[in-house]
Amino acid sequence: MSLHHPYDDTLARYAAGRLGAGPSLVIATHLAGCAECRARVGLFEAAGGALLEEAPAAAVRPDLFAAALRRIEEIAPPAPPPRHASPLDALALPPWRRIGSGLQWRRLRLDYAPDANVIMLKVAPGGKMPHHTHRGTEYTQILQGAFHDEFGRYVAGDCIEADDEVEHQPLIDSDVDCICLAAFDGRLRLQGFFGRLLQPLLGI
Amino acid sequence: MSIGLVLRSPPRDIYRVGAGQAVTSEDLKALMAQVAQARDRAAYGRLFQYFAPRVIGFMVRSGVSATDAEEIAQDTLVTVWRKAELYDPRQAAVSTWIFTIARNLRIDLARRATRQRNGVAALGAPEIGVAESAESATLSDERDAKVREAMTQLSREQATVLRLSFFSEKPHAEIARELGIPLGTVKSRVRLAMAKIRPFLESER
Repeated sequence: MSLHHPYDDTLARYAAGRLGAGPSLVIATHLAGCAECRARVGLFEAAGGALLEEAPAAAVRPDLFAAALRRIEEIAPPAPPPRHASPLDALALPPWRRIGSGLQWRRLRLDYAPDANVIMLKVAPGGKMPHHTHRGTEYTQILQGAFHDEFGRYVAGDCIEADDEVEHQPLIDSDVDCICLAAFDGRLRLQGFFGRLLQPLLGI
Repeated sequence: MSIGLVLRSPPRDIYRVGAGQAVTSEDLKALMAQVAQARDRAAYGRLFQYFAPRVIGFMVRSGVSATDAEEIAQDTLVTVWRKAELYDPRQAAVSTWIFTIARNLRIDLARRATRQRNGVAALGAPEIGVAESAESATLSDERDAKVREAMTQLSREQATVLRLSFFSEKPHAEIARELGIPLGTVKSRVRLAMAKIRPFLESER
């Protein structure tokens, strides 16, 4: 049961299909385990339905319907692959790379969004995440373990949105590795030893 | 609206029949039932007539090119036919269901374009992210009607925030312009507006 959830405006943009690919992946991962947020997304999808009804009815080329009729006579293409429990299961994850004692990371490549900044971090108990500030927003879903920072404590299932002005250095306080999925919609600035090490590797 | 209409010569008639008539949520559900249960092409024609122009209008308003908007509209309506039996009228309004189909197709189209630009074979690459949300969301039919009602009662600021969240590529910049507030304070204003909208939508249940 998660205590920290994405903001409503983020869920609205997700429901609208307007959130970037990286943040969308984080939010979709959160939704896979959070019925409450799925219901909230459902509300905004209903709002989308209402906006569709209100949309100005554009002129439609007369042959568009004929083309649709032809297509529905054809045999439908095979159904897409079965849905995964979590969107992460659908991705081929690269191996972890060690970047210091107790700290591993990997960058997720989304072939449909090569510019997306999405990483996974794995930090051993008692370890610290790289000290960093943001430009833009950082979306983090905790997949395993727990940590705390100056603002609170976060456990597996939680989703955290950290804004521009946030400067924090999360400390892992679970007895298992803490694994996080994080996406950035702006530039991330890392500080400290690991941060300086990580920055060029990430290329962000 | 009469839903027993038989379309003899599509496509032309379809744009004339029913034009300007009020179509209720129940009408749309009845049409969906006819398509799902009887593969009724006339009913399908009415749905096409109602939704194709709106999907195009919605997409163009979202900044999609006219050509892509037409492709999305056609794909959306073909999907409506193919997946008709998956639509559950107890869970969502027809327009909500069709909105999610069109939204996912818009995302897919953009992703395919990116893959092609980068020479990535699209075959076998699973779709992830928002495309999965529609079917898994807990939708309730009655909620859809109440959301609609609630949306008519939003303040100007709330309505602007909600509308631009759907239609704008850069919602924060446009919200700042439309509401005449500094960009620096937009984010907190958007959060505030959304925080007000959601319980409002929910309490109407």
